[in-house]
Amino acid sequence: MSIPAVSAVTAGITPVTGTGYLSPASGTQAASGAGFASALGSVDQLQKLQSTTDALAVKAVTGTLTDVHDYTIAASESKLAVELTAAVRNKAIDAFTEIMRMQA
Amino acid sequence: MSIFGAIGVAGSGLTVYRKWLDAVSDNLANMSTVRKTSEAAYQAKSVIAQEIPSASGGGVQVAGIGLGDAAGRLVYEPTNPLADATGYVRYPDVDMSSQMAQLIMAQRGYQANAAVVDRAKATYEAALQIGRS
Repeated sequence: MSIPAVSAVTAGITPVTGTGYLSPASGTQAASGAGFASALGSVDQLQKLQSTTDALAVKAVTGTLTDVHDYTIAASESKLAVELTAAVRNKAIDAFTEIMRMQA
Repeated sequence: MSIFGAIGVAGSGLTVYRKWLDAVSDNLANMSTVRKTSEAAYQAKSVIAQEIPSASGGGVQVAGIGLGDAAGRLVYEPTNPLADATGYVRYPDVDMSSQMAQLIMAQRGYQANAAVVDRAKATYEAALQIGRS
């Protein structure tokens, strides 16, 4: 339903066109990297390392572990991977908060 | 090569030296395993190492177990219940001093590879410290 008076008013309004001084914004460009998607991929890798360590821990407690160093190495690798992921995440959050601070 | 390449390579070295330790301990345990002269003696085990090509990650692996002389050495022990009519038994051809030397080599090799794992871990942790403060 349209109110005749209102539609009569809107008919008289012409849309604002560009002034010609400013070119229209072309929208944000997609970054060349995959962004957060690639970060999630490394989390997947981390998950794989963690599950390897978990499997070896189960072997260690059930007495079927053949190589002690396999377990300690897997534990070290997953610890390093967790630290690496946390470091990258902290850097990303730092960058994000820095950008957010620009509006203040 | 994966992200923690050095650790993986050193880990393969640890496995090979652990198997060498196993072989040496097996040889030492069977040093006095006596057999009848009609049977083959215990054969000393030796680990045959082989490099893993760097295209598939690098490192080392055990290609197989080499077996020593099955003839062993004949020892005159007429009181041994396993002795034959002439009083001889068959002892394995395991040289204790050589086995002890191999034991030291395997132990030191294992320790060297464990040190590589430690050092590589410290290096990766140093990389994580870049730009932290």
